[in-house]
Amino acid sequence: MKFIALIALAGLVLPASAAGKVDYLRDVKPILAARCYSCHGALKQESKLRLDTAESIRKGGKHGPAIIAGKPAPSLLVKKVSAHSLDERMPPEGEPLHAPQIATLREWISAGAPAPKDERPESDPREHWAFKPPVKAVVPEARAIGEGAVGKQPKAARTTTSVRASLITNLSPLDAFLEAQRRTQNLNAQPPAEPSLWLRRVTLDLTGLPPTREELAAFERDLSVSRSPIPAPASGVDEQVRKREGESRVRAAVVERLLASPHYGERWGRHFMDIWRYSDWWGLGAQLRYSQKHIWHWRDWIVESLNADKGYDRMIIEQIAGDELAPTDPATLRATGFMARNYYLFNRTTWMDDVVEHTSKAFLGLTMNCAKCHDHKYDPLTTTDYYAMRAIFEPYHARLDELPGTADLEKDGLPRAFDLHLDRPTYIHVKGDEKKPDTNRVIAAAIPASLAFKPLVIAPVPLPAPAHNPALQPWVLTNHLLAAEEQITVARQSVETAQKKLTEVERASGARTPTSAAPKPDAGVRASAVAPAAAPPAPAATTTAEQARGALKAAEFTLAAAQLRPAMVSAVWNADASRAAHSRSNSNLLAAAATAEAKFKLAQAQAELAKAELELIAPATEAKKKKEPDAEKKLKTAQEVLAKAQKAISAAGTNYTSLRATLKAFEGPDESEAHRQLPYPTTSTGRRLALAQWLADRQNPLTARVLVNHVWTRHFSQPLVANVTDFGRRAAKPVHAELLDWLAVDFMEHGWSLKHLHRRIVLSEAYRMASTYGSVSVRASERPDSKSLSLSHSLTLSPAHTTDPENKFYWRMNSQRMDANVLRDSLLHLAGTLDPKLGGPTIDAKREDSLRRSFYFTQSPEDLNKFLEMFDNANTKECYRRDESILPQQALALANSKLVSTAAAKVAERLVKDSESASDEAFIRTTFTTLLATTPTPAEKKLCADSLAQFLAAAQERKSAQPEAKARAALVHALLNHNDFITIR
Amino acid sequence: MNPTRRSFLTRSGLGFGGLALGTMLARDGFGLESSWRPPTGLPHFPARAKSVIWIFLRGGLSHMESFDPKPALTQYAGKTFAETPFKGIDDAERRKRVRVVVVNDANGQQRNKVYPLQVGFAPGGKSGIEVSDWFPHLRASVDDLAIVRSMWTTDDNHGAQIQFHSGRHMLDVQEPTIGAWVNYGLGSLNENLPQFINMGPRFFDKRDGRYLGPAYDAVPLVIDPREPLAYARPEGDISSAEQQMQFDLVGKLNRLKATQYPGDQALDARIKSYELAYRMQMAVPEAVNTESETEETKKLYGLDQAGTKPFGTQLLAARRFVERGVRFIQIQHGDGAAGSWDAHSSLKANHSTLSAQVDKPTAGLLHDLKRRGLLDETIVVFATEFGRTPGSQGSDGRDHHPYGFSVWLAGGGIKGGIVHGATDELGFHAVEDAHYVTDIHATLLHQLGLKGRKLEVPDRKRLDLDYGEVIKGVLV
Repeated sequence: MKFIALIALAGLVLPASAAGKVDYLRDVKPILAARCYSCHGALKQESKLRLDTAESIRKGGKHGPAIIAGKPAPSLLVKKVSAHSLDERMPPEGEPLHAPQIATLREWISAGAPAPKDERPESDPREHWAFKPPVKAVVPEARAIGEGAVGKQPKAARTTTSVRASLITNLSPLDAFLEAQRRTQNLNAQPPAEPSLWLRRVTLDLTGLPPTREELAAFERDLSVSRSPIPAPASGVDEQVRKREGESRVRAAVVERLLASPHYGERWGRHFMDIWRYSDWWGLGAQLRYSQKHIWHWRDWIVESLNADKGYDRMIIEQIAGDELAPTDPATLRATGFMARNYYLFNRTTWMDDVVEHTSKAFLGLTMNCAKCHDHKYDPLTTTDYYAMRAIFEPYHARLDELPGTADLEKDGLPRAFDLHLDRPTYIHVKGDEKKPDTNRVIAAAIPASLAFKPLVIAPVPLPAPAHNPALQPWVLTNHLLAAEEQITVARQSVETAQKKLTEVERASGARTPTSAAPKPDAGVRASAVAPAAAPPAPAATTTAEQARGALKAAEFTLAAAQLRPAMVSAVWNADASRAAHSRSNSNLLAAAATAEAKFKLAQAQAELAKAELELIAPATEAKKKKEPDAEKKLKTAQEVLAKAQKAISAAGTNYTSLRATLKAFEGPDESEAHRQLPYPTTSTGRRLALAQWLADRQNPLTARVLVNHVWTRHFSQPLVANVTDFGRRAAKPVHAELLDWLAVDFMEHGWSLKHLHRRIVLSEAYRMASTYGSVSVRASERPDSKSLSLSHSLTLSPAHTTDPENKFYWRMNSQRMDANVLRDSLLHLAGTLDPKLGGPTIDAKREDSLRRSFYFTQSPEDLNKFLEMFDNANTKECYRRDESILPQQALALANSKLVSTAAAKVAERLVKDSESASDEAFIRTTFTTLLATTPTPAEKKLCADSLAQFLAAAQERKSAQPEAKARAALVHALLNHNDFITIR
Repeated sequence: MNPTRRSFLTRSGLGFGGLALGTMLARDGFGLESSWRPPTGLPHFPARAKSVIWIFLRGGLSHMESFDPKPALTQYAGKTFAETPFKGIDDAERRKRVRVVVVNDANGQQRNKVYPLQVGFAPGGKSGIEVSDWFPHLRASVDDLAIVRSMWTTDDNHGAQIQFHSGRHMLDVQEPTIGAWVNYGLGSLNENLPQFINMGPRFFDKRDGRYLGPAYDAVPLVIDPREPLAYARPEGDISSAEQQMQFDLVGKLNRLKATQYPGDQALDARIKSYELAYRMQMAVPEAVNTESETEETKKLYGLDQAGTKPFGTQLLAARRFVERGVRFIQIQHGDGAAGSWDAHSSLKANHSTLSAQVDKPTAGLLHDLKRRGLLDETIVVFATEFGRTPGSQGSDGRDHHPYGFSVWLAGGGIKGGIVHGATDELGFHAVEDAHYVTDIHATLLHQLGLKGRKLEVPDRKRLDLDYGEVIKGVLV
């Protein structure tokens, strides 16, 4: 929405005449740029007309000169913009030019259309900064900057600058770029934050969990060791430099520890799940409409990939085309959950639109979606480009494959992408209307022409058999044998139960010798199933001996059938494998499979018949009876099935039912089950693989930049390129473009390693800065003589606060609010109750007592966790950045929820147990350092001590058990509500 | 939304946090215009009203089938506009005001075959003003209403919903909404409740405060008797005295922290949110507990019927909020992204169903406010983002229509039983006393004793259009 601000501004242009003479550059050009350039400029030259220089305006296009200097009335431009008819009027879309704008154009033409001689045409869209590959600029030299800037600065600033220049000779490239920019604005960076605040910041940032008390203490200890003087520096190394280096080593060690933690993958995995739109399946009741079941396998792949520091280039390829890259490897196939997540039951175009829009936004930072109905207004993206991208995805569909462990796809399975419709054509939808496809032209898969630094190389991928027939995966036989064994066990239990029942019934009715109901499964002869006419009607809820015998018989037949299943499964498996391996399969194996199946079916038919017979003599409850077809009819059907099965056994042939081990997602609500069972194609188009490789190409100008911007945004709570999903021409070259490009190239040079990028960022001076707005240091308030309440008198806000309130130049660190996940996870972690188990199926979102990390909750528009929702949890439909609202309801959630009060009590318990001294003062100090990573000021200490006494009195008054513990828990609870707990400083 | 809001906040140096900072800066001799002072919370001149209940029908109510009857539509049904005697009504100048958001958008195009009225009309009250049969209860209350039949706006798609609240087209820089301005300009009448409440579905931007800061956003409430306010009660073992001590401590600690981080708007907003939260946890459940109301009152709002109950419950809660001094209660009716009133097809079925949900409760609200003596100091606004086309869309619908539509106001020094302004014979253009949406804002502020221009903040120049003009014709 913001993107059209240009038009809005154009609407506000004052009539130029009001400001005196019309000036072409000031008054005319902005109107043309806002309303005309998209069709008559560098992007397009409709009617061969360009309006981006006065010269080309005079020259005109197909219909002649656009203006006649000195004569506004007959000038084509004026006629067009003031035409009443919509067929005539320019611009043809949107509102007409406003009267003052037209007056300005007229006035300019009247004055002879004067314009500067050296006017340059609008630059070629391909020259847009983000469409050219990033290169590493020369890193500014810190000392040189310092010295160079001195002359321009006021005297007071000069001293500071030169002092600082000497200190920053070893600035990292990241800091050198930022410092160079700050110098242009005469801005000074804020001093570093307290080390403990840095540790809290970086720990939350990289793992989503706060540092423990031990980690805080160890860090302080290591820092002080690194700072302590060593005797007689042998080489005469500058003491300050040595200290700096020592401290850097300590910080680097912390960062290595955090990056090596499996929680790193969880924290950053969640960030990428936001960007990549992770959502569990949802629909209406049992009907799956969106996403796929067990999509959490994709989540686990994300987390594992990050922890393994898999290259981001590789991650892109696996997500978009893992099935074409490693067609039989479930570990890689999991990645294609990225594609499967877009599944939508009802409308293929909606589905395709989502894929095109979000693949473009997430990886390219392009608003491809704007080109669906018309050519992009700002970027060189045409509607054809849009549908060419859709064509890349056109063949793909989603399915569930069996994974080792179970044959039941409801219980587990691998949601994945695969190419199903290899030849389905893609057509342009006229004006975006899916009911109006332009079938005259099939659009071929391609990437936008303007970004074709290299063409898309599409090669079909032949698939190995287990890829298109997952039943051939080695674990499938095991799965099905296991399932068969389970059925035998169940059937055996039923037989035992039936036997017991029969014994009971006979004993009760006067012990008749049980006639053996033992079936002879192979006999194929069935006993007459006529109900004994003389049998007295069974009293409700009692069983006659006849019925009990019938039940036993049915159970025994069922068991007999179940016992034949393993043999059938094995035979079928062998036959399938043989068919897949050889062009001429072993007919003996096929016959064996067919026979095994026929035997099984016969036994099954016998069991069904026995059940039908039983139903005749032991009708189910009245209600059930009404719904079911007549028992007689059922019996007849069973008899027919049996007869067929008996016939089949003598002529089994070589036809049998293969194992399936996969379930294609419905292609629309009306698709039949039979259609779902059709074989899958044996090749994949290779289109997605080609796209993915193009995205992950070192020459791609956008991919690395977009990624770096995303990572930067999450570390600094502020992006380098303001709109993280739009790097198109509406994104002006950012202030820190050189920094962005340097990081992007550096990132690619280091194997697209995210961990490398994190190190670059979190070990920088910029990341270390305090988030204060002025020079009030915490240290000052710690002075024992300070009355901290009078602090406000001594505060001096940094002048940067007025010159750069938005912190565009990174003169201070931005604080950010913990996101929903971090907040809940931190509470559990501090309480010591967080379950560190990684991965696996999702947890019911309503389970408020779960101790797993928050992102393991089921999350979809239908499954929302109440606590997380209060804190702007990710919107599963689109969440390129989280919102950070501040609402009273959040205060209530933190103050009143069981989650927080339980955590508070546990935290207090642990702190009491851990602290050497049980004194209130020690407790307060420990609580502050543990929860807020800062030492309390004297005023804070006093306030807390007073409150602790009040809490104790209150607890005693209401005769609480353990009033001291209650009081301390209350204090902890209050600190968990402290602004600086939920804030990452 | 995040980036914009953030930068607005920091840039403006305003909003709740900014106020504190602003005064501090002034003391330290920094920046900001020295003559500027934040609002005192008192009206600028004697107020006629204290509170506003803002009812908004999302999707676009047909003006012709509610409060602006056009028998000509039935008379010339099926004809093109040119075939009627009114072919001259189209006004290109007025049409040009509309700014299309989605290029090539099929919405809001001209539908030139006249579509007949789908409902009958009858005069109501002593004034005899005609109201459609879909609003029989409001017809009976028409003597309390000032119907403005001449509204226009410039967005022909549902961005007009934001526009009606903020006064700006969605392609423009966004301004705070009218509720946020009232919240900003007027002090609280009840410290225990949010001064600005939203009920009902919102799909577009929810940040009313904009550059005034998050502290001026509406507090969204869901009126659910099972859980009137999430986490309203401590779930742990804690007495109310202890809880109060805790909140107290949190507030003091945060204020101490604020001295270390002057200029931190988030911190300041959080301090305020805790103060409100503490008081809200008792006050909100009490305020929304409609159980204590008499059966007669509940029936008045239609709480005894499934169709009217959801909306009626919200309106009853709104009355209770007004009684308790809440300044601005905004109630959105009509679910879905576009809003359910968006009757592109099946207008008759759509509008007859939806009007039945709102008609009785709204009339009940007016009656209830009146008998309690609250209507004099409460303005009820009944609005929608645009009207619907006089021509047909498809076989049985009407499209978006920003050129002329109706809203009404009642109470708080507003005349009753009058019609102000008019559309042409086909209901196409607002031709008589036409009003842009901010004229409604101006009228509300005027009745509340506020001067819009006095609320302007430094570096945030507003346009004349943003202030609108008081609709004098509807004032007592």
